[in-house]
Amino acid sequence: MTAIQILIDGFVISALYGLGAIGFTLIFGVTGVLNLAHGGIMVIAALVGWDAANRFSLDPYGAAALGVLAGLIAAYVTYFVVIRPIQRSKRIPADETEIFILTATLLWGVMIQEGMAYLFSDNPVTMRPLLPGVVHILGDRTPVNELMIGVLCWVVIGLLWLVVYRTRFGKPLLAASENPRALGLLGFEMSNIHLFSWTIYGILTGVAGVLLASFLGVSSASAGGLTASAFSIVVLGGLGSVWGSLIAAYVVGYMETITAYVISPQLRPIPALIVLVLVVYLRPQGILGRR
Amino acid sequence: MKTILRSRLLWLMLPALVIAAVGPWWLSAYYLGVLTMAYYFGVFAMSWDLLFGYAGMVNFGPTFLIGLGAYGAALLDTYAGAPIVVCLIFGGLMSIIGGILLALPALKLRGAYFGLVTLVAVLLLRYFIVIFSGFTGGEIGMMVPDILSIDTATNYEYALWFMAASALILVIISRSSLGLILEATGQDPIAAAALGFNVAKHRLAAFCISALFSGLAGGMMVFYSGTASVGTVIDISIGVQIIIAAVVGGRRTILGAMIGSIVILLADELLRPLGQLNIFVVSGICLAVIIVFPGGLLGLMHRQREGA
Amino acid sequence: MEGSHVMAKNVLEVEHLQKRFGGLVAVKDIGFTLKAGEILGLIGPNGSGKSTVMKMVMGIEKPNAGRVVLDGTDIAGWPTAKIAHQGIGLVFQHSRPLHRQTVLENIKLALLPDSLLRLVADPSHDERARAIADRVGLGGVLDRLPSTLPFADLRRIEMAKALAREPKVVLVDEPFAGLTPREVADFSALIHGFREEGRAVLLVDHNVKSVAALVDRALAMYLGEEIASGTAEEVTRNETVRKVYMGGEIAAHPRPDLVQTSGSPLMQVKDLSVRYGKAQALEGVTLDVREGEFVSVVGLNGAGKSTLFNAISGLLPKSGEVVWDGAPTTGRSVAQIARGGIVQCPETRELFGYMSVRENLDLGGAHLEEAERTAQLESLLELFPRLRDRAKQAANTLSGGEQQMLAIARALMMKPRLLILDEPTLGLAPVILDQLSQALHRLRDTTGITVLLGEQNVTFALPHSDRIYVLQHGHIVWEGKPDAFGAEMGDQYL
Repeated sequence: MTAIQILIDGFVISALYGLGAIGFTLIFGVTGVLNLAHGGIMVIAALVGWDAANRFSLDPYGAAALGVLAGLIAAYVTYFVVIRPIQRSKRIPADETEIFILTATLLWGVMIQEGMAYLFSDNPVTMRPLLPGVVHILGDRTPVNELMIGVLCWVVIGLLWLVVYRTRFGKPLLAASENPRALGLLGFEMSNIHLFSWTIYGILTGVAGVLLASFLGVSSASAGGLTASAFSIVVLGGLGSVWGSLIAAYVVGYMETITAYVISPQLRPIPALIVLVLVVYLRPQGILGRR
Repeated sequence: MKTILRSRLLWLMLPALVIAAVGPWWLSAYYLGVLTMAYYFGVFAMSWDLLFGYAGMVNFGPTFLIGLGAYGAALLDTYAGAPIVVCLIFGGLMSIIGGILLALPALKLRGAYFGLVTLVAVLLLRYFIVIFSGFTGGEIGMMVPDILSIDTATNYEYALWFMAASALILVIISRSSLGLILEATGQDPIAAAALGFNVAKHRLAAFCISALFSGLAGGMMVFYSGTASVGTVIDISIGVQIIIAAVVGGRRTILGAMIGSIVILLADELLRPLGQLNIFVVSGICLAVIIVFPGGLLGLMHRQREGA
Repeated sequence: MEGSHVMAKNVLEVEHLQKRFGGLVAVKDIGFTLKAGEILGLIGPNGSGKSTVMKMVMGIEKPNAGRVVLDGTDIAGWPTAKIAHQGIGLVFQHSRPLHRQTVLENIKLALLPDSLLRLVADPSHDERARAIADRVGLGGVLDRLPSTLPFADLRRIEMAKALAREPKVVLVDEPFAGLTPREVADFSALIHGFREEGRAVLLVDHNVKSVAALVDRALAMYLGEEIASGTAEEVTRNETVRKVYMGGEIAAHPRPDLVQTSGSPLMQVKDLSVRYGKAQALEGVTLDVREGEFVSVVGLNGAGKSTLFNAISGLLPKSGEVVWDGAPTTGRSVAQIARGGIVQCPETRELFGYMSVRENLDLGGAHLEEAERTAQLESLLELFPRLRDRAKQAANTLSGGEQQMLAIARALMMKPRLLILDEPTLGLAPVILDQLSQALHRLRDTTGITVLLGEQNVTFALPHSDRIYVLQHGHIVWEGKPDAFGAEMGDQYL
């Protein structure tokens, strides 16, 4: 049954897109950085996880954990080596910080892509499934791993929600996305808040990368495309809005899946891109944007 | 006009141009080939800098304009057998028309949103070329029946003089009244409007000029290499390289973009012995330049001259 | 028509202008007329809507209703560039010249036609640009780059650019902000010159005082409405205007029992100066606050109060020193200064609008121990009972008065040793002021907290204060006890 397949595949793809985009939107919301090396960080997590599994013959979970750790380290390097020096530079005029961060993360993304290609070649790799086997849902054969990935995405999103909305560490993050100046006046060090955001970002993006590798496969060449899709989803949902990004991820995910099944796999991304352009023209603040 | 003649940098460029023009006497065919590509990239980057450095528009999709010009020229040549010059002009026009279609609604958008639309435009163009692969050659690319020349030196001279002419025209525009108004609109659109300047009109003009040169250069590159392919004129990575060349060379200088392109493409070649790592190293150097010397290579020269 | 007087006819007629931003009505119903050769002062405190009116006249904001008639043509809602061609020019407060071009080139820019086809400027422009430069006093620096010029000259460039278009109506935003007295005299003469050339001039400023000598008439705005109009003197004397700016009758209620005037001060500000780019915002400010004292810094909007407080809080680069509890705060971050006990409740309130009242308060108390936080929260909800009722509401759904209370309560959640309150009365209705006043009084009497209050509204500040500083144009011009203020400063203040 195609309809069931579309429903399930679309759900899992969308959840992955959502997870990938949430980190991107979080780091923009809290620190104002559009990280164009985003896809690169996902790729690092995926490739390191895959390589660790082969090299040390780890079980899929251990490999995934190492992959996420690599993603986290990559996020820290991005922050400390690329972004913070620009934010603190006295030679870069304040109103040009944005273009400098865009260019620098773009370059950093290229470096990651090339570095990964050097280390792991640019062949696509697929991580071993976290759970083997298939189940039949209403007559449709679905790998257990796919379902597992969909569920895991939502578990991670749920955990993020708990951390941000239900802990005393999370509230300042929300507050910083609204009004960083006030947070300073209330005695919060912005540098700590930025570090905390980059930590969460690294973990989220690492998990997204590892799960993506386990579901669709990833190669070093995927980095640019992953960044573009996260950027699109985030703009579609409204820059800085987490819920908007999730909705947008589902809009894009299902639109792509339906196009791929019903029309042609070749046309997969096109309707979503056209919708994106229309949304940007007609409602530049995105689905849930505030401005 | 006087200010242009007074520009010291432009006078410095003259001897450089002479040395470059006699390149075929002292450069190997291999490096002539590398420089030919670098010169076309120089035009791409200068066109981008006119938009970014003067009109303040961050175009993430320079290859949308380049690709339209390249494929426009290639298609006309392949299916109508028109002379190269006609094909080039047609490509430039395609680029302007596409640029207007893209830019008109996008002119009101700010910063990242404008950037995203231009980025998506590249992706869409790429998909359309792949979808209509029967017509366009798809991923593999399309061979064109005509080429500029089979002689490396001739090709080199074409590229050099094309770049020099483009540079001259773009520098004149950037330092003309139009450039002054563009810079004012880029810096503060509201203040510019309060002085009576129609901001949208000037931005559109900047976009069209940028499109024209991008498209022409794209077409020239097709007739130099004999093929139009997604990988050489449309891929986002090409666009990234153009932006990086302009910023590393020194934004808001036009000539800096040209210098940046040549330096980066040459560095790519010189570091070729590193194998796959060469792009990694070049990108790393560029990153360091951007962080440590935000003014870029030209900015660095200025600083030293002032210091001396 | 109705404008058919014996005198010159009106160049500009503004009628029933209205502007809403979302639910907020920034300008309710404003109208005025301007004749050729006339200078009108449009005044009002921060947030009164005066800048919005100016922007609507220039087309930078589109009015929701009303007419802007220039020489018989209704130009309301036209694009800015078209309005500029029609004959209105704006002198921006913040000058942003082209930095790579010389002064002369910057002026020539303004002379260029709005055309794509002219690559080379008309040769006559050079002469005209030089003439304009001479007139505004830039004749000697024509070939310099703007970055090498003093602040006043940058403002002259803005003047020159606006003049280049030969506008019939010139709008000048805060004509004298950041200028020295001598420069103020120069600029006044320049603006007088506009009048002689038959231009109509609209000066937009915080208060009458700075433009009184220059204007033929003034119109005072408050909360988006006109509250008075007439000659500068009439407006200054107007009851409502005095209430808005000073709060009405000046009266002091000093605390007789207090204050240990001896002992070392809790905070000393020594020779503090702040510049915004080239504009001098504060110069050589020295003041001190002792433990348990309630000190007020009064001054009109734009005098430098917020700049002073932001410099103390570490938000602005400064020269001079702030000594806190015996040690200079130099090198500490904003957050360190706040955790050290100097807590600012800023003029702009800076609430987390999408978060609830309770969440805002919890963030204020985030650095306290659990038990301490609960106790502090309880005592503040006693002080501001309204916040208890609104605990779950998002902060941006509160009324202005409630938002102010929340901002103060949030700052107090940090258990400050010194609370800096910047302009708490801004944009609040008189009823709310009374409640706020009572709350402050209770705070002063029950907790023995040290407060540094910044206010334009003297009547609000005086009853609470133990000591007063008057800030004018970035300088402290008076210091003393509140009961002496009326006699020594009362008349000069407005």
